[in-house]
Amino acid sequence: MITIKDLTVSYEKPIKVINGLSLSLGEDTIHGIVGLNGSGKTTLLNTLYGIKKPDAGEIRHDESPLTKKLMSYLVTENFFYSNITGREYLGLFKNQAFDEDKWNQLFLLPLDQIIDGYSTGMKKKLALLGILKQDKPIMILDEPFNGLDIETCRVIRSILLRLKEKGKTIVITSHIIETLTNLCDFIHFLENGAIKISHDKTGFNAFEREIFESIENRNVQMIDDLMK
Amino acid sequence: MIAAFLNIRIKQFIRAMSGLGLFRVVFLSGLLGFGAFVIFMLSSGEPNSYYVTGGMVLMLIILHLNRRDKAFLKTHFNAYRLLFLVEYALIAFPIALVLSIHSQWIPLLLLIASIGIVTQLDYKPKQRSTNSLLQRLIPSAGFEWKAGIRRSLFFIVPLWFIGLGTSFFIGSVPIVLFILGIIPISFYENGEPIQMILSYEKNSHQFLWLKIKLQLILYSAITLPLIGAFILFHTEFWYIPFIEYLVFITLHIFLILTKYTFYQPNSKSPAASIFASIGALASIIAVFLPIVWLLSIRFYVKSVKNLNFYLDDYN
Repeated sequence: MITIKDLTVSYEKPIKVINGLSLSLGEDTIHGIVGLNGSGKTTLLNTLYGIKKPDAGEIRHDESPLTKKLMSYLVTENFFYSNITGREYLGLFKNQAFDEDKWNQLFLLPLDQIIDGYSTGMKKKLALLGILKQDKPIMILDEPFNGLDIETCRVIRSILLRLKEKGKTIVITSHIIETLTNLCDFIHFLENGAIKISHDKTGFNAFEREIFESIENRNVQMIDDLMK
Repeated sequence: MIAAFLNIRIKQFIRAMSGLGLFRVVFLSGLLGFGAFVIFMLSSGEPNSYYVTGGMVLMLIILHLNRRDKAFLKTHFNAYRLLFLVEYALIAFPIALVLSIHSQWIPLLLLIASIGIVTQLDYKPKQRSTNSLLQRLIPSAGFEWKAGIRRSLFFIVPLWFIGLGTSFFIGSVPIVLFILGIIPISFYENGEPIQMILSYEKNSHQFLWLKIKLQLILYSAITLPLIGAFILFHTEFWYIPFIEYLVFITLHIFLILTKYTFYQPNSKSPAASIFASIGALASIIAVFLPIVWLLSIRFYVKSVKNLNFYLDDYN
């Protein structure tokens, strides 16, 4: 169990991007975090992974501090070191049991070509292969479906569901709510730096409806004015 | 439009300077002042004024070929070549001024003409997926070398064979060693993604020592055969390539420590680039060497501190 308690994070004080956030993330489950742009999703994940220092609060895994040894992290932006091949990138991760070529039959990447020539989707697939190769008990995925085609999205969904069955804890973000409702066990809605509401599968439909209505109602007047 | 763009450039420069901090700005200003003095003295007569002009033009060509905003400028500004011209003229202005003071009119004209020609260059170096035997010999952890060798393979291989084949000439091996020592400076320019430094699963000290060890092994592997050939033909001057080898090893260690002192994932630090150029200068102007050695000690401590933020879980 990952326990986040009273977490506060800021880049420039006094503006708090994460503001007193508390959340429990159970094991062997897929947790979705949704929120609008700028709601603090990536900041929360960076803090969870330990590459952003919190101002206050604590993050624990069972009774111990959560460390990078237990986690792999897929970041949103596709950045790779220039002039190395996909295979060389994967070669950095130590997992002899991982058969790169076999896994690549799912993604069809040109692993022996330099990454600079890959498309956005190919880079995302390569980053995902790296995450799968690391084989850590906790996987943090920031917008993993961005830039991917329908087939790959479905492939990844199937892989994540299998990984959950194998005991992995997965934390995943998306600003497209539909990508999470058919995958996650829990969805947490992040707004103004705090978890506003959490739902399990039984509440996903109502949650989705409520979110869309709230967004539409908030903007309908402005759109009407602009379109006159 | 050009004024607005230059205004942005000035703001970028001020931001980079603020990022460096007052102490480093003063220190670098001192070094730049010294460098400017050396250039001023050098360019007073021929042929040195031609060398200074050539150095400046070479720097502009490298800058122009490597700049990443060309596509952006081409799509947003009709007069993008004029923008290049203004930028390069401003960069070359101190050299032009020095040449005018010394009445070196021909090198000055050459400099001005070269700036115009450089802005017309539209060549993009082709990136190749070369997977040579050499690539397979480099361990995965030495990804900087894999990338760097891939970039410079077609230059390094002929150079190495020329050096070996002409090692009976006394100047040949030292010149090739010098070039082979300068090339790896560019290997450590870019900060890798955080996943790459975490993939080693080592603490900061172990990580830095691994990087230094890899650099020593790989650099030694390409230079020791050349040094051996030199000693075979010029035994009495054995110390020349040996000193050169030692100087470059210390420079490379300095570069690695500089990179990780200012390391931030996915970025190229302006501060690291400036200190790397001091390292490169030290290979020509020996006065800089003690500075490089002293800074190496300081940067070891600082890079451990910086890397601890990312690697503390492996302590």
